[in-house]
Amino acid sequence: MKTYSDLEFLKLSKGEKFLYKLGSFFCAIPRGIKHLILGIGRGIGKAGQTVGREIKDIVSTFISGDWKTKLSFLVMGFGCLARGQILRGLLFLLFEAVFIGYMVLTGGYWLSMLPSLGKVGPTEAYDEIFDTYVTTYNDNSFKILLYGVLTLFFIVAFVYTWRQNVKQNKMAEKILASGKKLKSGREDLRSLVDDQFHKTLLALPMTGILVFTVLPIVFMVLVAFTNYDGTHDGYYNNLFSWVGMTNFNTMLSWKVTGGAGTQSYAATFGEVLTWTLIWAFFATFTNYFLGMFVAMAINKKGIHFKKGWRTILVLTIAIPQFISLLYVSKMFAKNGIVNGFLMSMGWIQEALPFWDNPTWARISVILINIWIGIPYLMLIATGILMNIPADLYESARIDGANAWQQYRKITLPYMLFITGPYLLTSFTSNMNNFNVIYLLTGGAPTNPAASSAAGTVGYTDLLITWLFKITTGAESQYYLASVVGILVFIVVALISLVVYNVLPSIKNEEDFQ
Amino acid sequence: MSEKSMLGQSHDAPMKRHMGLRASRLAANTAIYVVLIVISIIWLIPFICILLQSFRVESTWQVGYVIPQKWGLDNYYNLFKTDFPKWYVNTFITALITAALQTVIVLCMSYTLSRFRFKMRKALMRFMLILGMFPGMLTMIILYRVLKDLGMTQANSVPGLILVYVASSGMGYYVSKGFFDTIPKSLDEAARVDGATRFQVLKKIILPLSKPIVIYTVLTAFMGPWGDFVFARYIAFGSSAGMNVAVGLFNWLNKDQINSYYTMFCAGGVLVAVPVTVLFLCLQKYYVEGVTGGAVKG
Amino acid sequence: MKKFLAVMLAMIMVLSLVVSASASSLAGTYDITVWVAEKAVDLTKQQIADFNASNDAGIVFNATVEAVSEADSATNMITDVEAGGDIFCFAQDQFARLVQAGALAKLGTKAAETVKADNDAGTVAAATSGDVIYAYPLTSDNGYFMYYDKSVIPEEDVDSLEKLIADCEKAQKYFSMELQTSAWYLASFFFATGCVSEWETDEAGQFISVRDTFNSPEGLIAAKGMKKLVDSPMHLSSSQASEFASGAAVVVTGTWAYEDIAKILGDNMGVTDLPSFEVDGTEYHLGSYNGCKLMGVKPQVDAAKAAALHRLAQYLTGEKCQMERFETLSWGPSNLVDQASEKVQANPGLAALIAQAPYSVPQGQIHGSWWDIAKVIGDDVKAAADEAGLQTALDNYYDKIASLFTLSDDVKFGWTIIGTCNLTDGFFYTDYNNEARSTWTDDLPLVKGEDGIWKTEKAYPMEAGVEFKVRQGLSWDNAFPADNFKVEEAGTYFVQFNEATGEVTLVAE
Repeated sequence: MKTYSDLEFLKLSKGEKFLYKLGSFFCAIPRGIKHLILGIGRGIGKAGQTVGREIKDIVSTFISGDWKTKLSFLVMGFGCLARGQILRGLLFLLFEAVFIGYMVLTGGYWLSMLPSLGKVGPTEAYDEIFDTYVTTYNDNSFKILLYGVLTLFFIVAFVYTWRQNVKQNKMAEKILASGKKLKSGREDLRSLVDDQFHKTLLALPMTGILVFTVLPIVFMVLVAFTNYDGTHDGYYNNLFSWVGMTNFNTMLSWKVTGGAGTQSYAATFGEVLTWTLIWAFFATFTNYFLGMFVAMAINKKGIHFKKGWRTILVLTIAIPQFISLLYVSKMFAKNGIVNGFLMSMGWIQEALPFWDNPTWARISVILINIWIGIPYLMLIATGILMNIPADLYESARIDGANAWQQYRKITLPYMLFITGPYLLTSFTSNMNNFNVIYLLTGGAPTNPAASSAAGTVGYTDLLITWLFKITTGAESQYYLASVVGILVFIVVALISLVVYNVLPSIKNEEDFQ
Repeated sequence: MSEKSMLGQSHDAPMKRHMGLRASRLAANTAIYVVLIVISIIWLIPFICILLQSFRVESTWQVGYVIPQKWGLDNYYNLFKTDFPKWYVNTFITALITAALQTVIVLCMSYTLSRFRFKMRKALMRFMLILGMFPGMLTMIILYRVLKDLGMTQANSVPGLILVYVASSGMGYYVSKGFFDTIPKSLDEAARVDGATRFQVLKKIILPLSKPIVIYTVLTAFMGPWGDFVFARYIAFGSSAGMNVAVGLFNWLNKDQINSYYTMFCAGGVLVAVPVTVLFLCLQKYYVEGVTGGAVKG
Repeated sequence: MKKFLAVMLAMIMVLSLVVSASASSLAGTYDITVWVAEKAVDLTKQQIADFNASNDAGIVFNATVEAVSEADSATNMITDVEAGGDIFCFAQDQFARLVQAGALAKLGTKAAETVKADNDAGTVAAATSGDVIYAYPLTSDNGYFMYYDKSVIPEEDVDSLEKLIADCEKAQKYFSMELQTSAWYLASFFFATGCVSEWETDEAGQFISVRDTFNSPEGLIAAKGMKKLVDSPMHLSSSQASEFASGAAVVVTGTWAYEDIAKILGDNMGVTDLPSFEVDGTEYHLGSYNGCKLMGVKPQVDAAKAAALHRLAQYLTGEKCQMERFETLSWGPSNLVDQASEKVQANPGLAALIAQAPYSVPQGQIHGSWWDIAKVIGDDVKAAADEAGLQTALDNYYDKIASLFTLSDDVKFGWTIIGTCNLTDGFFYTDYNNEARSTWTDDLPLVKGEDGIWKTEKAYPMEAGVEFKVRQGLSWDNAFPADNFKVEEAGTYFVQFNEATGEVTLVAE
């Protein structure tokens, strides 16, 4: 593609400018991907170098260190204790004791079972005395996977701590050699509210995220490589085991297997993804522009009861969606009050198929979503609009700009610049907008070709509700749901990556301060 | 919120254009009023309908009309014969404790990421951004098992729910970080020069300026548990004592219960909506300041 | 360490079993959870109290009775069997899913005999997988028929689907039958023309075969009949009693809706069997499923508790309790004695069910996925433009059913070895502790020789103590020998199998 200089670009007509921008955007994509791959490659290379450096450092610390340091390699914290840093030493020692205790008592077992995910399923025996059947439960694949992963986490944490322990010794030796004093326990504690304050503040939130977000996600990703489903639940019926890439092959295959319905999983995935993107686009931008207009209307000079209008609108935020959306869904049913009203007024002869016809249903959910979404946007826009300097408008008016021109030239660019990142996050969260779809249509109307043993698929189903249906379907195919989850992640990540590279306001984080 | 004009007005416009401007402004304002009234009606209809249904006593199932034939408080009265009060208390406790703890967590996280510059900061933020792109739906299976091992499921779901809500709340730091970013850094630098520790800076300087974002965080955290009918249902399955209002009411819409409970569902819905709405309306001002201060940064 | 603990625990359990067995007594207090439908909670509490007072074994149940919808039992049990109800009620369609999930305990010999003798044949079949009974019949009224508004529908029109549709359209009232969201209801049209969908399960709840004739000339007639209804602007896909309160004149649903509809319609309520539809001059009377609700006991690790729970379940589904349930909740009993009683015979809701009975089909066991597969027929039929479109809908349906059994004939009739062996690299192992060895999970196919004898392709080294079976079609229906084949002496062997005699032999290389 031909590249223009700034001057050449300015000479182009509007249409050409647009095409040029569009073209250069798409031309940038392969380059972006190339950069990404190169970046990953460089990252791996760097990581390799780092590991090498670390090992070299550890070895040299051992060779050049004194006996306290050498013993610390085995008994963590010994060096600290011997050099009078009691608090640090005890913490290191305690951590090592806990780690060893855990590994001996249970960690070793979970780790040893991880490759097979269990060997003996439940067994049933007949008890003659009571004329009844008794079940004995044995290995638990689910727990093995869960605690196996947790143990791996723990090992990584241990290696890291051990490395810190070694580093501490090296540093302590250096400090003592230069004749300075080591930090006392009291000083350590004080630094936790001062120059190390960020560690104190982050400790609790990060622990929570690690255990209740990272661990579950790692587990979920691993499930995609097993055959975990309703009939292989890992404990009560059959154990589950590793199956490699099978599930990905199933989901990404274009072959019509029947298991996926009368079309392949890949085709179904494509259809659902397309609708998900269409939905996210309309849900985001209808709300964005309509919300902005409503905010402008309410804020306009001469409009009274500003607070009252806003209050009415924000009711949809305050009232839980499972109440309001379920009711709205019923209102638009074939025999709901909307159709009843229209028919009694004689405006229509037959009930309108709000939820029965694929196109109607898709338009309906987008329209009703406006009802949910406008208030948020109105609140955000209200605040931002107030911050636009009034003299901008004044000078525009003196130049003879009408309201529309003012909007085009001042309001919109300002809003877009400031809310760019917000638009992106609301696009991705609309892609995963479970509540609106689940409560309004439940995915209906059904898409017969795509529905299968893995569960029904509807025309308004998003990837996230489809995933939910797979897990709650008759066969509870968790492994397939997990594959869909991973694919959703990839799609969202790709979109974000592309958008982030185009948006100006994210890169310059400091500009705002 | 200040009610000053958003679009600005020129007071020194030429006199001869004055009359025409006024007429056109009048027309524009009338049009806006009409639009606002229509919007308000559309916005209010569902809530009014739910309210009316909750006062209908001639029948308990869904009907094709809106205005009750017989009015009464029976539905509200009957709610207290079910487990509804228990669910309500469960949710209230969950919401209260979650609001308190979640605020602490979110503020710690966002303040740190906004104010400190440390080695892993960028990496950490990128890591959490990526983490947030995974759909969380499936993880509830694992969270259930973890909570079960801690004895926090079914009848004991309340602590379990609080734990999960609070523990994963650190991920939602964006809005409040955006808010902190707008507070000039020179303020804390000046205090640091005067010998204040980081902790003192937070306590003495930042927190007093952060009222809107604190209230915004408390409010969103408090509102969350009232509407959770997916995860809470999974954790409390099969045990009425551990359910929250959303799950309990949602179960009433089962095929075999809806005909006896539909109007009570509406009444329950009204009771859930009232405290949340009142709170929201009272604190709306801070919510707006918080969200505009923060959301603009995504 | 862990293993040692497990062994110790097992020994303790065995010991305690012996101890309690020598006492051979069920006496004791048990904490249990019982899941029943919301309507039956109070009654069930009362009935458990009655059991505590009346049983002669000294059993006392300290029961928590929870309201869990019978339609969601399987989903809830599968969430976590251990945390599920010890005794739970469920609709018949979830039976196979529950058996497969390991959520149902087999009935003891005596209990099974009692169930067979006391209940009607359809409900016993519903509780049976393979030859094993897994649950106790609770009701026998899970069928559907027609309710209508007498003020809209003239009495003489109730036998004809076409007339009913015309009446509804004229009065701008809805004809409500759940054809677009429920396979259970839409099967009605197919049964009308004589189509069947019969499934067979093995002991473990796995489906082994199906005879399904929905995709046939008769099925096409059924689809044409269905199209008449779903194409009507006044058709509503619902089975809710409350539709009568929002504009319906006809609702196809079951006995459970009787009281609600009676309240809504009052004297205008009409109850009758389903109508007939006409295609090419022939009348077809709509069929229906004849199903039931069941009560199951969760598998237990303690024999005494298991036995006590089975006693309770047996009591709760016995003649007395079923009658109580009929009297307070109008649930139609499955117990033969109760069924014969005058009171039950005189109930108008059940009378309609009885009128529909000649056209109904016992539900039996149906594949869990069938409900999802078949329910789209309604939407497919509605979307079809012409007869070819209807045929495509049925073809699609058939393809999906067939895909549930993807075994080729070679696999279906071929024989394989499965056992404590790792077949990937061709070595038989007894080393359970070696992680990489999966046991009893993979099959090694045998090859049929000229002489009709099945044989492994090569000889495998085997250690002493290796166990295996030879089975057909990857299923346990035909597996030899009855007890596992055990290798007595280590060596390198071919495995041979004689299909005619079922004899397994080792041939040294």
